[in-house]
Amino acid sequence: MRKKLLLLLCALLLSTAGLAACSSSKSSSQDGGASSSAPSASAGGGEEPVEITFWRHDYGPEADSINKMIATFEKQYPHIKVKMELIPNDQYETKIRTALAGGNPPDIMALDGPTLASYAHQGAVIPLDEYMNRDGNKDDIAKPVLESLTYNGKIYAAPHNDSSLAMFYNKKMFEAKGIPLPSKNPDEAWTWEQVLDAARKLNDPDNGVYGWNPTPWGFAGHEGAPYSEMTFLWQAGAEILSPDGTTAKGYLDSPEAKKALEFWKSLYNTEKVAPKELPQDAFPNGKVAIHIDGPWAFSYLETNFPNFKLGEDYDVAPLWKDVKQVTPNGSWNMAITAQSKHPDEAWLFVNWVTGIEGAKQWYQDTKNLPARLSTAEAFPELQQYPMNIFVEQSAKYAKPRPVTPAYPAISEAIRLLFEEVGLGNVDVDEALARAVKKIDEGIANVK
Amino acid sequence: MGITRPRTYDRLETRAALLFLAPAFLLLVLFVFFPMFRALWISFQYYNLINNASAEWIGLDNYRNLLQDESFRASLFHSFYFAAVVIPVQTAIALGLALLVRGKFKGVGFFRTVYFLPVVVSFAVASTVFRLIYNKDYGMLNAILKGFGLPPVDFLSSPKIAMIGIIILCIWKAMGFFMVVFLAGLNNIPQELYEAAEVDGAGRVHRFFRITLPLLKRTMAFVVIITTMDALKIFVPVFVTTSGGPAGATSTVVFYVYETAFKQMNLGYASAAAFLFFCIVLVISIIQLRMFRSDVEY
Repeated sequence: MRKKLLLLLCALLLSTAGLAACSSSKSSSQDGGASSSAPSASAGGGEEPVEITFWRHDYGPEADSINKMIATFEKQYPHIKVKMELIPNDQYETKIRTALAGGNPPDIMALDGPTLASYAHQGAVIPLDEYMNRDGNKDDIAKPVLESLTYNGKIYAAPHNDSSLAMFYNKKMFEAKGIPLPSKNPDEAWTWEQVLDAARKLNDPDNGVYGWNPTPWGFAGHEGAPYSEMTFLWQAGAEILSPDGTTAKGYLDSPEAKKALEFWKSLYNTEKVAPKELPQDAFPNGKVAIHIDGPWAFSYLETNFPNFKLGEDYDVAPLWKDVKQVTPNGSWNMAITAQSKHPDEAWLFVNWVTGIEGAKQWYQDTKNLPARLSTAEAFPELQQYPMNIFVEQSAKYAKPRPVTPAYPAISEAIRLLFEEVGLGNVDVDEALARAVKKIDEGIANVK
Repeated sequence: MGITRPRTYDRLETRAALLFLAPAFLLLVLFVFFPMFRALWISFQYYNLINNASAEWIGLDNYRNLLQDESFRASLFHSFYFAAVVIPVQTAIALGLALLVRGKFKGVGFFRTVYFLPVVVSFAVASTVFRLIYNKDYGMLNAILKGFGLPPVDFLSSPKIAMIGIIILCIWKAMGFFMVVFLAGLNNIPQELYEAAEVDGAGRVHRFFRITLPLLKRTMAFVVIITTMDALKIFVPVFVTTSGGPAGATSTVVFYVYETAFKQMNLGYASAAAFLFFCIVLVISIIQLRMFRSDVEY
């Protein structure tokens, strides 16, 4: 396998080097005419035809929405053809990285929030500030989202949508145990202690019911785990990095972080209210009483568990807090690669999809938490329960993951830290020391 | 003149041979040797996956850091632990199965097929199914254990035993293939030898250790060497079942290389790890080949 990977990579390197050489000679002749006149290209007369490629991970409903927008875009700009290529989710990052290494990436790439700084730092994607200031309606994008897309003072991507997590609870189980229901007001989140107290009462090991599942996908091997786990640290008042982003020492191993991890450890090992292995659909199946999930859960539950109803069987409350109320944010975005021959045309399409009108269409089709304030205002349902919880949380309490090229190391270190403490019942100080070392090595490795 | 003719003939013969070899050789150079050489080259550099312009020659630094890298050493340990268990256990089971289905009795074809079936199943599918079977609260395995009044086993969430879960999956998956290999080896042993031994009064056990095992030495060599290589480069079940977890307990070397190259984008470091591992595996293979040199001919 090792050998195969390297082989594959090098074979790709070889073949793509050849391809890139061909394509660059071909397109450079088109360049002069098209790019200079592109910004005001809406009239569409006389421009040379341009094809822009767009790669993204495969997710049915979202792809359908984009296809719709490609159709309208091509009508508006007849000289630009957009070719979208869908790549299976688990292969996406590998494929795009190999393509960047090989010199034939697409013009536009889907970009997951926390990977932004890595790509930006390596010069793989271009800053969008000029475009954003011109016609991107930057001020309409929620502040925390914009912050998560800014590296070294420049914006490198345009957001499709935002994301957040809230507390989902099984209403019938609460009522059966006579536990008072949590408030639906986004500003009145339950504290860890309150949730734990309820979880103790709801826990029922004999029937395989766990009181509290504190991370949406369980101990998953992907970004979903650190995405939610980091908020635990922030809620306790801890930080992951120093403000200048140069070290984790003195921040990740602070007394606040220790407290958060001791609490986390107790949930799995002494209180035993949290499942070490989260089975598929544990919450709608009544195996977990208090769950954590995002706005995407509503349509999923509606389609797959029509008898498990919002308001009757379950309800949503703001995400729990400790000394601070903090919620996660960030999602998928669109970025323009540095190797694109047609950045101006690419921006036209990016702005078509992520701009004010595109964002509305996107919300209608996907029901993802909007990143634009104008979208949140345009749909009354976003100001009503349950979506208002997510919308208000992201405006007031969201904190982006650290924007640094060392993020891959941070993500891995945090994921392992919570696994070691939760699953392995390892000493918190020891696990923290390892995590700090790993992150600091990751930072030192960035060149 | 009489001497030159065969020479021309020889030369023509050599030229033809070279011409026939050339396509395969060129492909090997292009797809094996060149990439390997490049990987070796990259392993001496700081080399970011997506930005090769930033590559920088750093000599043996990658190798030096690797030797002190806790997670690399842990992954080495996991790989060798995996191999140390899988090689003897899987070989013994495969040989045992081969002996069981060697005879000619009614339904033997059915059992041969059943034992071979896991080989055909894709690793990704098998890993996904085993994930369900292993689940601590709802998995089939623990339902059975519970039926016998035994405590539940958490293969997927206990760092101490997670590797055993992967080992069971891999043995289940591969044993059928090596059973067939052993079956072929067993059928190659002349029946007369057994008859002669029986006349001399050798019992079943005696016949197994004095005839079957020594004459299986070549087959055994093949099985052990292939199993060693397969075991050391284990990746897919780890990737699908545990993603190297829980808490890194099943992170093998190949998994480590993959993570470093594609997630951390540190291609130089990952190449160095791959090469270090390549050297270790090479040494092991050479030792094994020497050990299994057979002096028994039949």
